Amino acid sequence: MKTLIKVYVLAILIAVTAASCGKDNYDKPESHFTGKVTYNGQALGVRGSNGSVYLQFWQDGYELKTSFNVYVTQDGTYSSMLSDGVYKLVTASGNGPWVSAQDTVIVTVNGDTQKDYEVTPYYTLSNINYSVSGNTLTASFDVASVTTDRAIEYVALMVNKTQFVDFGDGTHVNWVRNSEATPGRVELQLDISNDLANQKALYARVGLKIDGVGEGVYDTNVYKIK
Amino acid sequence: MKKINILLIITVTILSVNCSGFLDRESESILSDEQVFSDQNMITSVLANYYGRIDWGQSLERGGDYSILDEACISTAGPDNRQDFGNDLWRVYDYTLIRNVNQFLKGINSDAAADLDPAYRNQIEGEARFIRIWVYFNMCRCMGGMPIVGDEVFEYSGGMDITTLQFPRSTEAELYNYIINECTAIANLLPEEPTINAARANKWAALMLKARAAIYAASIAKYNYLTPDVKTAGGEVGIPANLAAGYYETAYNTVNEIIAGGKYRLYTENPDKGANFYEAVCQKGNYEVIWARDYYYPGGTNNFTNYAIASSVRGDIDANGVTPTLNIVEAFEYKDNRDGTLRTRTADDADYVYYDNPQDVFANKDARLYGTVVYPGSDFNGVPMTYQAGQKYYENGEWKERSSNLGSTDSDGDLITADNGPDMSSSQFVNNSGFNIRKFVSYNRDASTRGRLSDMWFVRMRYAEALMIAAEAALELGKPQTEVCGYINQIRDRAGILPLTSVTLNDIVQERRVEFVYENHRWWDLKRWRIAHQVWDGNSETYSATHYSLFPYRIKDPSHPQNGKWVFDKLRSTWTSTYPRRFEYRNYYNFINQDWINRNPKIVRNPYQ
Repeated sequence: MKTLIKVYVLAILIAVTAASCGKDNYDKPESHFTGKVTYNGQALGVRGSNGSVYLQFWQDGYELKTSFNVYVTQDGTYSSMLSDGVYKLVTASGNGPWVSAQDTVIVTVNGDTQKDYEVTPYYTLSNINYSVSGNTLTASFDVASVTTDRAIEYVALMVNKTQFVDFGDGTHVNWVRNSEATPGRVELQLDISNDLANQKALYARVGLKIDGVGEGVYDTNVYKIK
Repeated sequence: MKKINILLIITVTILSVNCSGFLDRESESILSDEQVFSDQNMITSVLANYYGRIDWGQSLERGGDYSILDEACISTAGPDNRQDFGNDLWRVYDYTLIRNVNQFLKGINSDAAADLDPAYRNQIEGEARFIRIWVYFNMCRCMGGMPIVGDEVFEYSGGMDITTLQFPRSTEAELYNYIINECTAIANLLPEEPTINAARANKWAALMLKARAAIYAASIAKYNYLTPDVKTAGGEVGIPANLAAGYYETAYNTVNEIIAGGKYRLYTENPDKGANFYEAVCQKGNYEVIWARDYYYPGGTNNFTNYAIASSVRGDIDANGVTPTLNIVEAFEYKDNRDGTLRTRTADDADYVYYDNPQDVFANKDARLYGTVVYPGSDFNGVPMTYQAGQKYYENGEWKERSSNLGSTDSDGDLITADNGPDMSSSQFVNNSGFNIRKFVSYNRDASTRGRLSDMWFVRMRYAEALMIAAEAALELGKPQTEVCGYINQIRDRAGILPLTSVTLNDIVQERRVEFVYENHRWWDLKRWRIAHQVWDGNSETYSATHYSLFPYRIKDPSHPQNGKWVFDKLRSTWTSTYPRRFEYRNYYNFINQDWINRNPKIVRNPYQ
């Protein structure tokens, strides 16, 4: 009798376990989705720390909706592991250093997929050069105005001890700002004697903060000083 | 056969009991509308329930919330790592209460309430509608325009068209208009006389809310250009600039009605201006306070005194939950200098300024500092308050510090570190900023015990706000400066500081900041003026964004000429408040919860969402 009960219990356990494996779970997302935020095909540099700049993914066909965010990193790229399906990719209004158009991009994810997101930035930075002479870091670059409806709050040259370099508190150890900059060639100089002496590693990047917009546009690359 | 017989008996029994109405009895635990709305005591109980559900934002029941802004920091137990403001911070979305009020309004106009005295019915209708419009006002300043659902009590029954229950958001201007118009109507329903401990709304509370809504709407209309992306296409967020003047006019006229009404005035009973200001805010039932959240003992107490009390005067183990920042202390002006910066260093920053007594550095400060903050060398209900981080001595050309456990003395019997600290430890209940809160902290020592707690009230509206709104509206409407100064100088005179001869918006910002510390104004004020992102810019070099502390030291060095004097160190409070505050554009309006949109697709999102 006891053996019989054991057999029954075991059989039920196996049945329950097997059934739940089949019914309750979705496949894990296995498709690698990548892309970059671009203007005229060129990637745009953004603030890559603190989850500042992101795109929202939505999916139709379900009763309740919740978006999930895909964060844009410093060089303007983003990536995520997704399940196959059709998604809508959109920016959050006012998020990112570009005109808030919120164009919807339909993305069909089927295996590894690559899709860029085209935006209109307020300003672009190009031809960026860094040089170090002695204790002075110099950066020069071209500022081009794409739209005319936002002024420049400031341009900045920043250094940090990690590869994350931006306007945020804690993501630069030293910086110089110029709030008089206008479109054209801009040169910034920063005395980094203290930083060279105190930091084991040092990275530099330039950025432009737009007036009335939370984010700025940055160099897509960081310059390694040491 | 036997079994069948038993079954038969049971069945017959059940059926017969059922026949006698066993299953149809009236509930003894649920009161019917008939019972509630025919009885004044019942009606008062229902209203009391509503009054107890409307504390949002900073309040005495969530003292920790005071540390979110720049008026106080967390002292007890470890660093506060907040930097950003939540997308749902202090968000209000309470259509449950709005529906409850609508049920109430339906009830008092039903046959059950036919015998109510008409004056009484007007009063309770006014109070219920006041509570409802207070909910709308709180939602509006959080999120902008929200659905206005009127008086109907909506019911859902299976199979009905759900879209008839889904209302779109109003524009921000429409909702402010609705609030202003409702307040006008409510003011005519409510009695004029002050209520006990200002706990129930009267005519003047309705007018204060009207004025407050109007000045909020006016400043949003005028200053929204500073944050051009903070708006929605449909106007749910953002008010057209051409409406500003009308709203300022409404605010101006409404506060002048309150001033002319003469039921309330600035409290000036105590010739000691510092103590007078404490009494003006903290003494129940005084003639300045128009509407308050009242508490009582036993049974209806709050824990703010227990949470915020100073160590040396506490009645229980708890203390220093939140303590004032140096920033708010320095915001108070000197009588002879509008710059309230504490003079702790010489002008060239070469040396300390040496004081005989710790309170000397606060001499000639705005009297409201005493009424708001317990500072080194002041008193708490007559008990002298000592704050001493340690002793200083001069060695090898520089000042060095000696500090020890709280309350410890050296071999000469001189105090090293005071009970009240301050120190930089992350221990529980230890002061980290060098001050304690006085406003809303009860002088009754028992009020700081866990078993009793405090019956201190929380002031929601007082006459000083009417004067400040009058000054602001008059300024924005271009009235003569003499008139603008006339309003603001009443407040400054009570505080014992110099009268102004000309006023700018910055003076209004400054005056409201120090007058209404801990009264749940600062967050909403900085948002409506659209300057919050500049004040809290997330930059650790920005003084206003970063919490600072004041550490007093006594010099113990017989060989030094300044032996026995007091010096002060101003320190960035990184050990208790690690990061600067960063207000982003998205924080001007709370995010709309996606769950609400799923239920009502007519609701549109807010900016940055």
